[in-house]
Amino acid sequence: MPIEANDVRLLRFLAQDMTQAELGRRVGLTRQTIAAVEQGRYAPSLEVAFRIAHVFGKRVDEVFHWQSPNDEAGTQVDRTR
Amino acid sequence: MSSFEKRAWLALCSMGPAYAVYFVIQAGFPALLPTMGTRIACLAVVAGLHAIAYLAGWLVIKRQERHEGFIDDERDRVIDGRATRVAYFALLAAMMLVVVMPFDHEGWQIVNAALFFIVVAEMMRNALIVAGYRKPRLAH
Repeated sequence: MPIEANDVRLLRFLAQDMTQAELGRRVGLTRQTIAAVEQGRYAPSLEVAFRIAHVFGKRVDEVFHWQSPNDEAGTQVDRTR
Repeated sequence: MSSFEKRAWLALCSMGPAYAVYFVIQAGFPALLPTMGTRIACLAVVAGLHAIAYLAGWLVIKRQERHEGFIDDERDRVIDGRATRVAYFALLAAMMLVVVMPFDHEGWQIVNAALFFIVVAEMMRNALIVAGYRKPRLAH
């Protein structure tokens, strides 16, 4: 189970099918890194996460989700804390 | 494949065969290089072939990069940083072996040992860069 998941691919699709290269150009990443982020193979820095969220007009926690690897039940982190 | 990964592959493919030939000749067939001049010439030829192969590959990659936006980014730098750190400590440990060699080895053996460990460290660095793109956890 991935520790970190995100909705970047879905948000790209909703943003008139924005290409990975276009998103990469806007946030300062290569197309390959955007692909790695989408597949959960690379966790971007906080600054890049903010930039990606900004491109889609979302908050960071609406784009990126973190899950504890010890959380067998798969419950999300309590965001009310 | 990102440009940075291509460059790591290029370094591996150009350096590996060139210096493998050099060290096989030096270790296995020393009679082919009886004098200091022939040994230096052999090293110069190998280094030249390595440089030509790397330059040719670099030009090809550079041409491809014209069509891409960013050449490298934070992920490339993280992978590079980790690989360089590991290779640096491997080289450091190897050099400790080399500095005690003057007690019971001759000049060219020391030179070749130092060169061997430098090549191994550089190969290790590039191999770790390539592995960093394949194994996600190595990039974190």
